[in-house]
Order: sequence, then structure tokens, then C-alpha cells
Amino acid sequence: MDLFANLWMGLSIALTPMNVLYLLAGAMIGMIVGIIPGFGPSAGLAILLPVTFGMDPVGAVVMLAAIYYASMYGGTITSILLNTPGESATVASTFDGYPLARQGRAGPALVMQAVASFVGGTVGVVLITLLAPLFALLARNFGPPEYFLLAMMGMLLLVVMVGGNWRLGVISALIGFALGTVGVDLETGQQRFTFGSAELIGGIDFIPVAIGLFGLGELYFSLWQGLHLSRTGSIVDYHRERRFWPEARDFIETRMTLVRGSLLGFVVGVIPGAGATIASLMSYSIEKSVSREPERFGKGAMAGLVGPEAANNAASAGAMVPLLTLGIPGSASTAVLLAAFLLWGLRPGPLLMSQNPEFAWGLIASMYLGNIALLALNIFAIPLFVWMVKTPYRILAPAVILVCTIGTYSVNGSIVETWLMFVAGIFGFFMKMFGFSPAALVLALVLGKLAEEALRQTLTISRGSFMIFLERPTSLWIIGITAAVLLVAPLLRRAQPRD
Amino acid sequence: MNRVSSMLKSALAAGALAAALALPVASAGPADAQDYPSKRLEWTIAFGPGGGNDIMSRTLIDILQKHKLYPENIVAENRAGGSGAVGWGYVFGKKGDPYQISSTSGSFVTTPLQADTPWKPTDFTPIALLASDDLVLLVKGDSEIETVQQFIEAAKKKPPTIGGIGAVNVDFIIPKILSKQAGFDFDYVSFNAAGELNTALLSNSLDAIMANPGEVLGLIESKDMRPLAYSGETTPPALGDVPTLKEAGYEIGVSLPRGLILPPDVPKEAQDWWIETIKKVVETPEWKDYLEKQILTENIRYGEDFRTFLKTTQDRFAEILREQGAIK
Repeated sequence: MDLFANLWMGLSIALTPMNVLYLLAGAMIGMIVGIIPGFGPSAGLAILLPVTFGMDPVGAVVMLAAIYYASMYGGTITSILLNTPGESATVASTFDGYPLARQGRAGPALVMQAVASFVGGTVGVVLITLLAPLFALLARNFGPPEYFLLAMMGMLLLVVMVGGNWRLGVISALIGFALGTVGVDLETGQQRFTFGSAELIGGIDFIPVAIGLFGLGELYFSLWQGLHLSRTGSIVDYHRERRFWPEARDFIETRMTLVRGSLLGFVVGVIPGAGATIASLMSYSIEKSVSREPERFGKGAMAGLVGPEAANNAASAGAMVPLLTLGIPGSASTAVLLAAFLLWGLRPGPLLMSQNPEFAWGLIASMYLGNIALLALNIFAIPLFVWMVKTPYRILAPAVILVCTIGTYSVNGSIVETWLMFVAGIFGFFMKMFGFSPAALVLALVLGKLAEEALRQTLTISRGSFMIFLERPTSLWIIGITAAVLLVAPLLRRAQPRD
Repeated sequence: MNRVSSMLKSALAAGALAAALALPVASAGPADAQDYPSKRLEWTIAFGPGGGNDIMSRTLIDILQKHKLYPENIVAENRAGGSGAVGWGYVFGKKGDPYQISSTSGSFVTTPLQADTPWKPTDFTPIALLASDDLVLLVKGDSEIETVQQFIEAAKKKPPTIGGIGAVNVDFIIPKILSKQAGFDFDYVSFNAAGELNTALLSNSLDAIMANPGEVLGLIESKDMRPLAYSGETTPPALGDVPTLKEAGYEIGVSLPRGLILPPDVPKEAQDWWIETIKKVVETPEWKDYLEKQILTENIRYGEDFRTFLKTTQDRFAEILREQGAIK
């Protein structure tokens, strides 16, 4: 069959010694880029782009793509250990990942996240191999109305996600929406709430806010509780449970979660836009909805970590579909990859895969190998990370502040964003103290902006008529799926017999 | 009034500074001029890594070093923030320093119109305009419209929706000028990035888009999108026989400048040195290769001609954006 011939050819290209070397280099760099808070894959890719100027395109793309998906593995590590998401796609991983670490289950949590990432990533590549052209159709049908509905779906899922006091959750989300309105109004070009500051024209960036609210906020809170003075003096009470490997129970309980997260992540990831973030959130709320013990979510449920992890890795594979089949980048990272394609003299577009089969299939084949390499790399590196959380807090805390500061500054070299991170940190401390939801705030910041822009684009296109949402088949599908997720899933759960 | 007083203030400040530094300036000035360049060059990139401005700057630095055109070290610094306001503000603050340089792009013209920057594009010492960003007008591949004339005819009957990137941008200005000259109305829909813009056209959400040729070439080849007209002076070879708007009878006359600038008040000798050097740079195969791959229109104007270009472009932008109420 053509497909296997192509894949075989791809493997023979990906397995040349030089390309294997590039792949491993990319995987290592991507892990590191992912681990440093703030320093996300798009910044890492952009900095390494000039290195690839003289390289063979296949080797170069194998390396750059590996950086991209490896950062999805690495990004979760700080979410779990330090409650610090490196990017919006790993926010959902903090909800249950960090509680797991604090309960002394950092080892199992990290192993499970590596396994989930591997399954998500691999399911993603298999789907690219088999069905890329079919999924390209999905990407082709997404216009502003569909983006608005998708963002609305994400926001409705926020309601499911926010635990504890829902009033405080709503207030947190409203603050996030308010922050999202800062910057140049996309439609009219006028400035909103920038107070004449040139730094605010581009709006308030997600990264410094998230690092501040989650990472620094949590850190200040721990210091306030006197963690650095306590006898064990580390984040986790590690002696409570010594097991490094997950238990069989962890795998059995989450096997369906893995499948759901991977498939969902891939499909949502194919859609250009906020794919991986929305996918991880959807996965989290679906898992919470179908779970027999939703009350455990947010307090260290393994499914609450595994679902979003499988989803965001599958989504990063999904994002390759519009890039390879349409030449359309779906995220900041794939936009850098697209710029790289042009630099190497390739012509991205629907004909790329047939005109440059060795390039496209070499890349796809390398993603199989890359995911295997990353699983191994993660498992070997985990003891090192677990050792990190055992470090006395009085040493760890300043190191974390330093790394967060460097990470945030290095993204844009902006001192204003660095200050923003510190201010968000203080804000995060008070939010934690009074039970507000930092997650609702940062996600509203991302989704609110997206929803507002897409709604205004839609209404310009339809000249003010809301009927446009019912006239487009893809829109109707999204409305249907949202209704199903919100209404049917809880009903199903109730129908399930409890044991 | 405000502007006059702030100019007065800065003139006074500059005067005081010059007086305070009179001795060192007097001795350093001529020496610098004679053996320029003799020091490390600091190259400010006013955007983050990976964008169009960054890639152009790094290509130029590569060429200058590979062909040994600049004898000393060159350090590239990304100073991003405020759509270029931060980076160019930094260079503006280095008045008279010939070892500071920066590359320009679209925001060099649009950011000062939007924000209260202390600088205007024409304040800097111009070296050269190298190329311009021009756009192509596209409809979906299965559209009934095949030429720009048909597009305008249809637009006169029913105002189309045209998408582009950003509101204070050439993506909006070009169709606006076209619509005024051809006599039709349209609704402009603004997007953040090329990905969303392209899918908006493919998903039948829009009637037409304005796009950078490099980002849609693959979709043109596969006949998913159909190019109707190009806004630059001459159509790049990659686009084939697509007419320019000028050939279709419309005078657009705006494009975004990709060029090089030095801080204000740099010695004439340094400006001249750079103009001579850039004349060599644009002849290198690496530069030609860059233009071809990025599908940019070569558009070379040296020194004062570049300043004039910046002034006309900005005036034209300001006029149209003010009518729209996008700027004050």
C-alpha cells in the first residue's frame, strides 16, 4: 500500500545517523525549553531557527519538530512539581498534578504524565499517518463563527472546572476577561486601557500572568505558611509514601481517560487557534463529568492529570495537520515552523506532501521515534526531578524565583513583563489566601480575548445577524457537541451504578 | 502646542548635553568619522525572534559578516515590546551614536500613529529602503470571480467582506484606497494572524482577503485560493501573470518599508559608509535568495529618498486612518 511505502521511506530517512542525532538533540532541547517556566516552545524554536540556515531541511525539521512536541512533555514537569504551568496548554495539568506531588506521589504523577504524553503523542502521529487529509477538511471549515463557539465551549467548561466557591470563581474569571481587553482593539485599531503606555499596546501576555499567579503565588503562600522553617523543609511530605512507580490501579483507572484524551486532543488540535489549551481543558472537564468520584478532582485524581496530558500532546501532533496539509499554522510554535519551511525553500501548502514526500514522511516517521525517545528520557530523568522537590524549601524557593524571572525575561527581553510577573505573584498569593481561582483568571484571559474577537468578526461578516451560527453546518455541530458534553455526560454518570 | 513645547524641551536638553560634553564630543567626532567603523556594532531588532523583522536582520548580519563588509563584531539584540515602540525608542535615545543600527518593518510607520511615541520615522538617520511588503488580493479557489474587474463589478452590487491582519495596517489601507478609487463599499474584518485569516477564507466566511504572498503561495498553487491582483510595483515571478493594481488602473502607492536606520543626528560620514556598504550587500546572492524565498519586492532607495518615502507613506496612512476614526 502507498501509505506503508511512504511510512517505510520516511523511516529509512529518519533513521539515518545524522537525523537520529538531530532528533535526540531536539528532544533534549525541547525538554529543557519546556521545563523552564515562561520559556515556551515558540521562543525556543525561534532562537534555534538561525542554526538551521545551512542544514538539510529534513534534519532541520526533525529537530525543530522534536523541540516542539518535547516541550509538551517538559512543560508539565513544573506544573506538577511547582504548580507553575509553562504555557496555557499545561494549566489544566496543575489542577491535580500539584496535589499529587504534595501528597508524596510526585514519582507516580511524573511517570503517568510521561506515559500519557507518549500515548497522546503516538495516537496523534498514527492519526496523521492514516487520516491527515480527512482532518484537513476539519481545519478548512473553521471560520470566526466556529472559533467563537469553541471559545464559548471552553468558557462553559470553566464552570465545570472551577472547584470550591463558584462565586469567587466567577469573579476570578471576570478579572481575567477584564485583563484580556487591554491592548489594541483588533477591529478598530483603537487602544483600550493602555494608559498611553507603549508596552501595553500588545495586551497583557498570558505567560507572565500565569507564572506569577500559579508559581510565585504558590511559593509566597508556602513561605507565608513557614514551609522554609519546617522540619522536613521541602514541598512534599516525601516520607509518607516511598513508591516511585505508579500502581497498577493508576493504569487501570485511567485507561479510558487516555483514549478519550488522545482522540479529543487530536481533533481539537487540528483546528488552527487555541487547540492544545482548549483540548486540555475539555479533557479535564469531561473526565470530571464522567468520573464516579468527581469530588476527588482537584485533590489529586490521577485521571485529572492523565486526561489533559494525553490531550495536549495529541493536540501538538494534531497541529501538524494544517501545517503539512494546508500550509496554515495553528499556533505560535507552528508559525515559526512555517517560517522555517519558507527559509529552507519549501513551499508549504496542500501540495507539500506530494511535492516533497521525503520531507513530510521523514518528519512523520521521526515523530514516532521521537515519542519513544522522550518516554525513555522522561522515565530516566524522573528521579532527578523527584530529588528536586526534596530539596529544602529555603534553597528551592529562591532558585525557583530566579528561574521564573530569567524565563519570563528571556521570552521578549521585556522588563515590563518581568514586573508584571512579580505583581501577578503577589496577586496570586492573595487569591490563594481568599479562595479565588487563578485557573479561571488565566483561562478567561486567553479565551475571553479569543471569544470577543471572534464574535465581532462574525457579526461584521453576518452584518449583525446571530442566525449565522445556525446557518453553518460546522457551527451547528459545535453547538450540538457542547450541549452533549454539558448535559448528557452528567446524566450518564448518574445512570452508572456506583460500586 | 504640546509638540512644540516638547521639541523645545528636547532641543534645550540636547543643547545642554552637548555643552556639557563639548570637549569629548569635539575630539571624538572627527576621529570617529575618519576611521569609521572601528567599534562593535549594536543591532537592535525591535521584535522577538522568529518574525519577519528578525529574519531579515539576521540575514543581513550574516551577509555583512560572511563577506567581511563590517570589520568589527556585530551584536544582535531583540528588544521587543509595544509593536516596536521599545526597540526603536532605544535606538532613538542613542542620538548621534553611529554604532547603533536597526531594521524597520511595517510597525515603524504604524506604531507612532497609534501610540504616543517620542519619535517619528523621519527622525532617524535613514540608510536605505531595501524592499517593501506588498500584498495580494485573493478570493477562494472555487469563486465565480476570476479577475479584479469582476471583483469590483460584484462589489459595486453587493459590498464584500475583506479580511486582513490588524486594523492599523496596510492590509486595511490598500483595499480602502482601491474601494475609494473604484467606487465600492466593503466591510473589513481584522484578524490576528495568517492562520486564522486563511482558514476564514477557506471556510467561506469571507469574500476576499489581503495576504502576504509567501503565506498563501502553496494555497494558490493547489487552486484553493485565486489571486486577483498584487499591490506592489511589479508582480514577483512566483505569482505568475497576476496583474498589479496599477496595471488594473488603480494607483495605490503605499507599502511597508523594510529598510535600515541609524539613530538621529549621526555623522554624515557614517551614513555615507552604510549607504556604500548596502550597495554591496544588495548585490550578494544571499540577499537575492532571501528576497526570492520571502517573496518581497525589491525596492531600493538610499538616504534622503528613504526619508521621503517614509514621510509620504505615513502621511497617507494617517489621512485614511483618521477618516476611519482608528487614530486621532
